[in-house]
Order: sequence, then C-alpha cells, then structure tokens
Amino acid sequence: MKTMQFRMPRIIAALLALMLTAVPAMAGQVSISAAASLKEAINEMADKFTAAHAGTTIVKNFGASGALAGQIENGAPSDIFISASTEWIDYLLNKKMLDAKSRKNFAYNALVFAGATTKKVSGMSDLTKLNRIAIGSPKSVPAGEYAMESMKNSGLDKKLAAKLVMAKDVRECLTYAEMGEVDGSFVYRTDAMQAKKAKIRFVVPEKLHARVVYPMALTVSGAGNADAKAFFAWIQGGEAKSILKKYGFILK
Amino acid sequence: MNLSPQDITAILLSMKIAVTATLLSLPFGFATAWLMVFRHFRGKVLLEVLVNLPLTLPPVVIGYFLLLFFGRNGWGGAMLKAAGIEFIFTWKAAVVASATVGFPLLVRSIRLGMESIDRQLPQASRSLGATWYDTLFTVVLPLSLRGMIAGSSLMFARSLGEFGATIIVAGNIPGVTQTIPLAIYDYASSPTGTSMALSLCGVSVALSVIILLLHEVIGKQLETRREA
Repeated sequence: MKTMQFRMPRIIAALLALMLTAVPAMAGQVSISAAASLKEAINEMADKFTAAHAGTTIVKNFGASGALAGQIENGAPSDIFISASTEWIDYLLNKKMLDAKSRKNFAYNALVFAGATTKKVSGMSDLTKLNRIAIGSPKSVPAGEYAMESMKNSGLDKKLAAKLVMAKDVRECLTYAEMGEVDGSFVYRTDAMQAKKAKIRFVVPEKLHARVVYPMALTVSGAGNADAKAFFAWIQGGEAKSILKKYGFILK
Repeated sequence: MNLSPQDITAILLSMKIAVTATLLSLPFGFATAWLMVFRHFRGKVLLEVLVNLPLTLPPVVIGYFLLLFFGRNGWGGAMLKAAGIEFIFTWKAAVVASATVGFPLLVRSIRLGMESIDRQLPQASRSLGATWYDTLFTVVLPLSLRGMIAGSSLMFARSLGEFGATIIVAGNIPGVTQTIPLAIYDYASSPTGTSMALSLCGVSVALSVIILLLHEVIGKQLETRREA
C-alpha cells in the first residue's frame, strides 16, 4: 500500500534511534566490582550509604576477581574494584587501569573446608578419602588459587587432581557443598558461616597459602567520580568495619 | 596453536561424549520418528510438543531439571543410589545432557526423511504378507538412512557444543567432564587465558566444519546411489 511505503522506513528509523540512544549514566552513580564473597557485606554497606546520601545510586557487580578484572580491562564501567587476592589488583595496576595511590587493604579472611559429607574430615590429608571436592577455578577465582596452593604445599595436588570440580566463583563452590553433590568445598570462613547444611570441617592452616587479603582501589574513571570517592572513603570507616566484623571478616 | 595436555583431554572427552550420546539416542530417535510419521493416536500433538521442547528451552533449564531429577533428592537419583550408580558430576551425566538437548534435532531429521518415503512401498510390503516389524526393518529403515545420518551428524555437532545443561548436571571437572565448551569457558573467565581460549575455539570450528562437510558428502552419495 502506498501509505505503508512511506511509513515503514520512518518507523524503522524511529526504532533504530530508540535502540541506539545511549542510556545516560545517572547523576551520582557509583559502579563497584567486588569479589563474590563480599556480596552480603557490600550490599549492606551500599544500603546504609545510600540511605544517608540520597541522590547516589550504587550499582554492584559480584563475581570471581579474575573475571571482574577481565571485564574492567575490556571496558566494563567500574569505579571501585575489590579483589580477593593481590594478583588481580596487580594485574589491573600493570595495565594502568587503576589509581595506584588509592590502593588499600579492605579486609582479610580465612580459607576453610566445608561440606555435608558424613565421612570424618579433620585435616588436609583426610581429603584423599573423599570423592568430589569443589574449588573455584584457579584460573580466575582467588579462593581456588589459595586452595590449589594449599594442596600443592601439602603434597596432595596430584592425588586430589581427579576429584576437583571447578566452580566459577566461591559462592558456586558453596552451593555445590550445600547441595551435597560434592563431599565438600574450599570456601572462605565467611561463606561457610552463611551455609545451612555444609559445616566447617577444618580451617586450612595459614602457613599453606598466602594470606587471604582483599585489596581495593579506585579505577581511573572512579578517581574522577566524586560520589565514588565518597563511598570509597566510607567503606574504610568505622560503620563499614563493624559490618565486616558482623559477617566474620578479619580486620587486621 | 597453544594446546595443553588438559585441552587434548577435553577434545577427546568431547568426542567420546558426543559419539555415545548420538549412538544411544539413535534407536529412540528412530522409534519416535516412526511413531510420529506412521502412527496415528490420540495425544500425538502432546508427544510432538514434548519431543520439541528441549529445542526451545534454555539448556540451563534442561540441565537444572535433570539435576533435580537425578540428584540426591530426586526420584531418579534415589533409584540410582539404590543401584549404587554414580551419575551427577560424571561423564554419564554429560552424555544424558547432550542426548536430551540433541534429541529433537535427531527426530526432526529422521522424520523428514521418513515423510518422503513413498507410502506405497511399505503398503506393498504389508500386502505381500510381511509383518509390521519386517516391513519396519527391511523397508522403512533402509529408506530412512539419509535422514538418520543427517540427524546423527546434526546431533553430534550439537553435542560437541553443549554447555548449559552439561555444566549444571555434570560440572566442570577437568579430565572427567570438562568438554571443549567448558574448557573455553574456564579460559575465557580469566583475562590471561585468551590465547588458550582462541586455540580451543579454533579446534571447535575445525571439528564443526569437518562434520558438516562429511554430512553433505555422505548425503550426496546416498542420493546418487538411490537414483542409480
């Protein structure tokens, strides 16, 4: 029909314009990429901060620190990055994507083995009795790297190699342990505290792995975002520290 | 090309799972296609919807349902536990995941092949006194061969690329259930794994191209042989 001939291109043009219009970043938006194990703590901190600072919205992105570093490297919008190991902070610092002067240590944690298995597990050597053990994939999950390090330093890495189920982050590890589909997983103590069915079987001796530390920094874009700097300062303050303590993180 | 021994294991495992899933599904796929083409019964539409469901459901949903059914707390899981069979997070689970998502593709192709069979041929066979199963194996089966090969290669290719259902019900266990897509996912999650991921992607593309070429070649051969 003649009228459709003229209308169709206009409709298509209008649709394209709508789709291509970039969604403007809201004033006062802070994007934070944080390790998966920090989920509840950061959520609570964000709620408290936005309640006291109307007009600021905090967009949270949780995941494995390595995966997050990859996202930031590829241009994902992020103002603050909190990693669960020094590896990924250093990685981004080397790529000049972070504000080196802002680097601080946010918190510390402990690595534990938690599971719902009925077998008796009280130390690293008991792990050889188990069938399946979940760890975060060491290529991108710090919890998995600490776990691999502990297994290597106990001389158990070859014996346990075929039992390992790779999870995409430490929370997926916890889910596997909770579901009972693995005998147990290497998670942080703070994660195990959230578990209902999986119980902490033993704390991995600290001498077997590098200390679990959460370094944090502002990204290059975050350093120019006043709201991000305000939140960054707030999460180092007393109120934030008591939230961390509540969830079982170690502060020094 | 940057392939570690773990990657080679992943490639061999992918092939093993895809071959097993395809071979296991062939008899069921043939039977289902035959039911849908040659038989009429009430509720046939329901069967058609059920068979096509895995094609439209997200593979993660299929994997999750399989996990709920075969897991510790599921019916299937309870039966397997009684029989002492370990299923979840083993390569058997990967086979079932691949078989489930690939099944509609297999049935579709076999169906298409069967529908083009001249109905007078099986009718003639029956009228000459052959039993229904005799007709099935000596008339229908040979004539469905092209559809079966097309379906098998499609299903094989789909199984090689199966990710969502596999990772949920078989997990990502290097050497045991880590197939090519799972290995690529592992590398892709880490910003330092780019070249390894790309090498495996290259292998994946090469395998798919080989299968599709074979599919075309064998299909043409069968066609010319029939016309001869």
